[in-house]
Amino acid sequence: MTDLETKLKAEAKRLLDEHLVDVFIGFRKENAPLHPQPAFFTQSDQLDDFVYNNLCQNNLAKFLTRYPRETRIGMIVRGCENRSVNHLIVERQHPRENIVLIGVPCTGIYDWRKITQRCGEEISSVEITSEKILVTTPKSKFEFEPKELLHVSCARCSQPNPINADLVIGDPVEAKDPARAKRQVETFSGMASKARYEWFTHEAERCIRCYACREACPMCYCAECFVDHGAPRWTESMVSKAGMQTWHIIRAFHQTGRCVDCGACERACPMDIRMTYLTEKLNTDMEIEYQFVCGMDDKTQPPFAAFTMDDKTRFVA
Amino acid sequence: MNYILTRNDIPKVLEKWSEAYQVIAPQKYSNFSAFLPYEGKAEQLCLEYPHNTRYPPKALFLPQSEELLKYTKDGQASEPGLDTKPKLIFGMHACDTRAMTLLDTVFDAKDYQDPFWKARREATAIITLGCDEPCKTCFCTTVEGSPFNRQGADIIMTNIGEAFHLEALTPKGEKLCKGLPLATKAKDRKVAKLQEQATISMPKAFETEGLKATLDANFDNNYWEEVQRSCLGCGVCTFLCPTCFCFDIADEAARSKRYRNWDTCMFSVYSKEASGHNPRPSRKERTRQRLMHKYSYWVDQIGKIGCTGCGRCVRYCPVGLDIRAMLREAGTLPVEVTHA
Amino acid sequence: MPDKQTSPYTPIPMHLLRSYPESVDGLLRSVELSFDNPADCKAFYKGYNPGQFCQISIFGKGESAIGIANASWEGDFVRFTVQRMGVVTSALHQMQVSEPLGMRGPLGNGFPLDEWKGKNLIFIGGGSAFSTLYATVKHISGSHLKKDFGRISIIYGTRTSGHVLYKESLKRWHENHEIDLFQTIDNPEPNWPYLVGFVPDTVRAISPNPKNAVAVVCGPPIMTKFTLPILEDLGFKPDAIYTSLEKRMKCGIGKCGRCNIGPKYVCKDGPVFSLAELHTLPNEL
Repeated sequence: MTDLETKLKAEAKRLLDEHLVDVFIGFRKENAPLHPQPAFFTQSDQLDDFVYNNLCQNNLAKFLTRYPRETRIGMIVRGCENRSVNHLIVERQHPRENIVLIGVPCTGIYDWRKITQRCGEEISSVEITSEKILVTTPKSKFEFEPKELLHVSCARCSQPNPINADLVIGDPVEAKDPARAKRQVETFSGMASKARYEWFTHEAERCIRCYACREACPMCYCAECFVDHGAPRWTESMVSKAGMQTWHIIRAFHQTGRCVDCGACERACPMDIRMTYLTEKLNTDMEIEYQFVCGMDDKTQPPFAAFTMDDKTRFVA
Repeated sequence: MNYILTRNDIPKVLEKWSEAYQVIAPQKYSNFSAFLPYEGKAEQLCLEYPHNTRYPPKALFLPQSEELLKYTKDGQASEPGLDTKPKLIFGMHACDTRAMTLLDTVFDAKDYQDPFWKARREATAIITLGCDEPCKTCFCTTVEGSPFNRQGADIIMTNIGEAFHLEALTPKGEKLCKGLPLATKAKDRKVAKLQEQATISMPKAFETEGLKATLDANFDNNYWEEVQRSCLGCGVCTFLCPTCFCFDIADEAARSKRYRNWDTCMFSVYSKEASGHNPRPSRKERTRQRLMHKYSYWVDQIGKIGCTGCGRCVRYCPVGLDIRAMLREAGTLPVEVTHA
Repeated sequence: MPDKQTSPYTPIPMHLLRSYPESVDGLLRSVELSFDNPADCKAFYKGYNPGQFCQISIFGKGESAIGIANASWEGDFVRFTVQRMGVVTSALHQMQVSEPLGMRGPLGNGFPLDEWKGKNLIFIGGGSAFSTLYATVKHISGSHLKKDFGRISIIYGTRTSGHVLYKESLKRWHENHEIDLFQTIDNPEPNWPYLVGFVPDTVRAISPNPKNAVAVVCGPPIMTKFTLPILEDLGFKPDAIYTSLEKRMKCGIGKCGRCNIGPKYVCKDGPVFSLAELHTLPNEL
């Protein structure tokens, strides 16, 4: 157990033993390599399997909307997850007083797809130290530096530290990309429109409409997603160009001003489709046009959800 | 009879087969592999990977989206032509091949036959590539299969290093192997040993003896509430699964066509009725349905488990849920006689 | 030119022959469909057993599974009583006579009339689910089959008198000495000559005799839920109580997977099940 895991486990135990939370959400040891599982502890004697490391790839804020508002939830949050929780509070999905946030300054999530790309899909074990990551396969051993494996969202992350957690365990981490200099969105925006559409088409054509991206996203909690509407019918259900592209574009637009660029969507996708370039573009537009960054506090309404008398109304009829 | 196909000969043999068949083989695709039409680029073939494609080859027989009929404004419906183009799948693993024979019991049943499925099955020859180094996430031997299972194959192929050993199992298979050098008895013996070793190397993933009875007796057990907690309710496990077959039917008015598309019992709207009532209102019921269907209802219906242990659901679940662990745990539940 | 139909997913070509409201609020409407090809009509009724359903197909909208509401001897058409719920049923309600549509069927098992021979039949229906019971009564009482069965009793409940289906047929049945028809509505209304009360209470009051009898319950889930225990109290055994289930359906032929209860498909192994059979299936109604 690492020092971080020990401290987190102790805090979870305390919150559960002192009945300060009804459920503590963290992670537990993986069954299949590379995928520690989100875990929901209701008693401290369940914490034997508790783990917390850079392979914990899911945004735990996803699970906030599963519980009734009265449930007192304890949750480990990294920078992006804290912002997701904040925004879910803004959207009134759970009252702040029923959430206990244990913050962890984040050194980044290791992208399991980068590991399988380099090492093959048969992974025997992964050992993480602060300096390197050792991956063992039946035939070989591989060694990586953290920066080689960071998920693309983490590599450009500007908010790795929790914003308003009740307790922070670990020292603050420097943002990887404070000047946002290496954003994928700049590459994307800089392309000619034909090239942009080709990139988008190339990504979307692998889609198998499994909606893992939607389900992994904390902000996709609609009781009925637009793709399931019969009347009116917004998009084809088929794996056709029209159907898949509409799915990706509309989901990205539904995330505008709500997405924290955690990258959980990409990591959930079994076909390795890139998606964060779309949401990043929309988030950057929000920042530039409306000076709004999602999740920096749990009070500010996003521009498209709220109305004030001094709103710019350029496009509202 | 048994034959040898050397690695050097593969391009020219595939080219020869391409005269009579469209050859489909696992090839490099994005960051992984997929079953694609072979276009003469032997370097793209993925016959060495110790694992399978992500997207399952059931799509070659049951396309994810398939036209069922088209219609005119005055209500004339016409069926699309059947896909009878001869195809040869070169290098499908035994788990996937066996899965197709399981799906035959659904789509080619006594009462109703699905002509689209049947046409493709009849037009397709399968060369199964056995797994000489089964993956840790695979568990075919636990579910009545094996890495060199022959069900559904016209030829079974074994990697022997510098070449592949081919065992023709059907007349179609024999015809394909015509012209290939015969395998020696020594090679046959080596292959038999290799196949046996690969099979016994696989540990039992969970106990299947008594599993159905335990699952049936525990339909209302709180276990189902616990096991689904981290499940996202996405479709990755079912869409990548070679034995999952559920589909939705939808009219695409803009195309004037009726399609069927893969569907999944994991989605909330799957069983939601027009009145709004949903017999499976939460992930608890839906996760239970998935496991019970594969490990109990299939057994009721055809006497076989509806899973061939390919391991895709284990490798690609976004939250790391492992069906083997779920069943190991389910197997420990008490079997009490409950009031019917 | 339509291709020869080889696919069980291709509907039989039909046209809308008649369409008329059944309930005062317009939510229930009966539609009668005619066959484009006489050969299709012959094949349809050759295989027909009351209690079966069809997938009514409206191109561009989809399909909807509806119970067949007529007997085979009534004519070269098929009647359905449709409740307006969603996209397809709304389109069906709005269709004009002589418009084309499709139909796949007959699907499902229907009632096991062979097993019921010689028995008294007690039909208990509520709301629009009465349609297949209506079809069965017509099928038996209007044909030579009636000598194969004992006494026919019907308990039919609706919310109000304005929701009663098949008013003309019911009038005749009240006058038919071979049929005991009990109608009930939820709340009293002036000039209502029959019973008042929910169906389960009415069943208890009428107290049908379980001896050599079969009870068939078709109604909204809540009605069925409360009626079944009353029948058991009265002495009906689970293998003498039948019901017809509903589920979301697509293929209707046991291939798409979605309408299952345990290992049985409601579309193919049902929709008619005995209570004894339901007891062997998981509780997933």
